[in-house]
Amino acid sequence: MPGDPKPILAVEGLSIRFRGQSQDLVDGVSFDLAAGETLCIVGESGCGKSLTALALMGLLPQPAARISAGRAVFEGRDLVTLDAEAMSDIRGNRMAMVFQEPMTSLNPAFTIGDQIAEAVRRHRPVDRAAARARAREMLDRVRIPAPDARLDEYPHQLSGGMRQRAMIAMALANDPALIIADEPTTALDVTIQAQILRLIRQLQAETGTALILITHDLGVVAETADRVAVMYAGRIVEEGPVAAVFDDPQHPYTIGLMASVPSLGRRAGRLQTIPGLVPAPEAMPAGCRFAARCPFAEPACTAAAPALAAIGPGHRVACRRAPLESHVAEAAA
Amino acid sequence: MTAPAETVAPVLETRGLERRFVTHRPLFGAPTVVQAVNGVDLAIREGETFAIVGESGCGKSTLARMLIGLIRPSAGEVLYRGRDISHLPAREMRGLRRELQFIFQDPFSSLNPRMSVGRLIEEPMQAHGIGTPAERRARVAYLLGRVGLRPEHAGRYPHEFSGGQRQRIGIARALASGPRVLIGDEPVSALDVSIQAQVVNMLEELKDEFGLTLIVIAHDLAVIRHMSDRVAVMYLGEVVETGPVDAIFEAPAHPYTRALMTAIPAPVPGSRPETAGIVEGDVPSPTAPPPGCRFHTRCPFAEARCKTERPRLAPGPGGRLVACHLAGRLPDFAPRTLAPGLTSGAARRFGLWRAARGGDVATSKIPPAEERRP
Ligand SMILES: Nc1ncnc2c1ncn2[C@@H]1O[C@H](COP(=O)(O)OP(=O)(O)OP(=O)(O)O)[C@@H](O)[C@H]1O
Ligand SMILES: Nc1ncnc2c1ncn2[C@@H]1O[C@H](COP(=O)(O)OP(=O)(O)O)[C@@H](O)[C@H]1O
Ligand code: SF4
Ligand code: SF4
Ligand SMILES: [Mg+2]
Ligand SMILES: [Mg+2]
Repeated sequence: MPGDPKPILAVEGLSIRFRGQSQDLVDGVSFDLAAGETLCIVGESGCGKSLTALALMGLLPQPAARISAGRAVFEGRDLVTLDAEAMSDIRGNRMAMVFQEPMTSLNPAFTIGDQIAEAVRRHRPVDRAAARARAREMLDRVRIPAPDARLDEYPHQLSGGMRQRAMIAMALANDPALIIADEPTTALDVTIQAQILRLIRQLQAETGTALILITHDLGVVAETADRVAVMYAGRIVEEGPVAAVFDDPQHPYTIGLMASVPSLGRRAGRLQTIPGLVPAPEAMPAGCRFAARCPFAEPACTAAAPALAAIGPGHRVACRRAPLESHVAEAAA
Repeated sequence: MTAPAETVAPVLETRGLERRFVTHRPLFGAPTVVQAVNGVDLAIREGETFAIVGESGCGKSTLARMLIGLIRPSAGEVLYRGRDISHLPAREMRGLRRELQFIFQDPFSSLNPRMSVGRLIEEPMQAHGIGTPAERRARVAYLLGRVGLRPEHAGRYPHEFSGGQRQRIGIARALASGPRVLIGDEPVSALDVSIQAQVVNMLEELKDEFGLTLIVIAHDLAVIRHMSDRVAVMYLGEVVETGPVDAIFEAPAHPYTRALMTAIPAPVPGSRPETAGIVEGDVPSPTAPPPGCRFHTRCPFAEARCKTERPRLAPGPGGRLVACHLAGRLPDFAPRTLAPGLTSGAARRFGLWRAARGGDVATSKIPPAEERRP
């Protein structure tokens, strides 16, 4: 972030490649995150959001995928070069992850209380009683009613929303500097999603934890983000303060995505669409990866990948024709 | 789009429709019963798009499956063109299936992976003895084109297609027998936004072309507002509010409808006041629904009688029905009708996009890369 000399996380050119492929699937992802800041990563399925998160957490599927280039400096250390032991000291401690489906990360055989206490004892020299007290405190923190009783319940005894609260409690148990939440509310009903998003905002104000929130829902972005990074086919195509990206969308993909969302207001004709499909991961096109779907594409777009370049304060876009109106005659709409 | 007039006879009607499932039958004692649908009365008009909305487990799919005879009700009846179809013998029901078709939510599991796309689309025609083999093949090719696929796709298999394309195949298959009513159970929920918009537009075009009555289940309120004429909001197996989409979205009357509208995140930064009325608590288990008004455990307006007395659907403003003891006496509610692109900067870019897209025609001059496979 300009003007902020010390981001807690600085990602630079992060690239991920699958075994046997000649191209990077996630290609040159760069962003900075300041303490206490929320960055939303938004994009359609398959664009590499989860892979980016897993790479930062040292959890890429091994040996299928590896980081092929780049750095990710977190609290002064490059996560990309850390060994497995150093990574597991950081994971669940200085940085923690919340997944879409809490059942994949909660162990069905242990109580919620035991699992949170265990997460505490893995990183702190405290006795069982102190760890259990911390677990209870965390359940209270995430507004789980009757925390004493919940401590001794098993994951399957909780509703989806309560399980997600328990996951957040576990993630926060060691006061991390950074939480990465991958679609934390996607599997939840809309009234429960609203509760969890509010909880996340409240906890962030209380704890000052930085947050990377991954979502495909522009509504969730608008409600949660300080800054937003739009991903398409493995690359960040636009990044900036949330108001700038929503009020002044620059990349054709961002514009097309926003224009495709039906509004809650009165119907205004057919929806706008983005033609075509996302490219197959094993056949990423050369140059701008959006070119085959972009109504503004010109032959030069496929020659070289456009760089993510500044277009406004803290606002960057990877399109050789941005800002569009300086290249495209405006329609008298 | 104007809603068909009220005088038109309903194409589908339910009366006191109920469905219970036994989820656990112990050796001794009472079995555990889920009341999935509890006393639903609906009338769906010819040619309209009717939406059913509610949170997971509220009974939408069970209701939809009863509407076309895929499952039988525990009580009540389903009338198709005035005739009770809920107790038809299986053979007659199979015949009726030609007119009542279903689109499933999950494009990945609803298509037989061992059948080619051509076979999948032809099968319903064969089952109903429609056309000669040559006519059926011609209709397969026509339907593929209509859903935005190519005739040569008929020889391919479902796994070779993306989620959005599989949903198109499912839609072509549902259209094959020439149905009058199409029910989509979350037909676009599994799709990404840009693909969802393509399929929504396509469904609307097909509805006009084939003169369909469309029933859509969705949890995305914006999709419902965009697509439908009327809507039914369900909570724990019951319809709590139903009526014209515009009336309900502009002034939701039931506290649960209001809660849904408050909860959706609008794609406009800063549009949610921190104090917004988010309802608390979880949806109670449908095995033990609360007595009285089923929403009373979460309703900010609940009174003593709400805990004991079930509110019945009663007429409210704008041609709606609402089931709430306090209907008409609740404080006014300002719904959020925010659309993205309210600012001039965004509106201008959307204008450029629209102009460059030139309607629904793909305008990119760059040939598409190989199609994405899952
Ligand atoms: N273990 C794996 N082996 C091979 N390909 C993989 C693997 N994991 C992910 N991929 C592929 O990598 C691409 C990006 O995956 P990723 O899960 O990061 O995307 P995403 O944007 O988070 O998608 P979604 O929103 O669907 O979860 C996809 O094309 C996916 O099929
Ligand atoms: N075949 C079944 N056996 C047992 N319970 C069922 C069955 N089908 C649905 N249910 C239950 O009925 C309720 C309503 O389900 P459903 O109609 O699928 O809701 P929705 O589609 O809104 O998610 C849920 O509690 C569900 O678990
Ligand atoms: S670089 Fe070209 S193809 Fe890519 S988004 Fe910009 S105009 Fe479209
Ligand atoms: S009947 Fe009572 S509890 Fe039910 S929605 Fe109305 S006010 Fe709320
Ligand atoms: Mg993902
Ligand atoms: Mg369902």
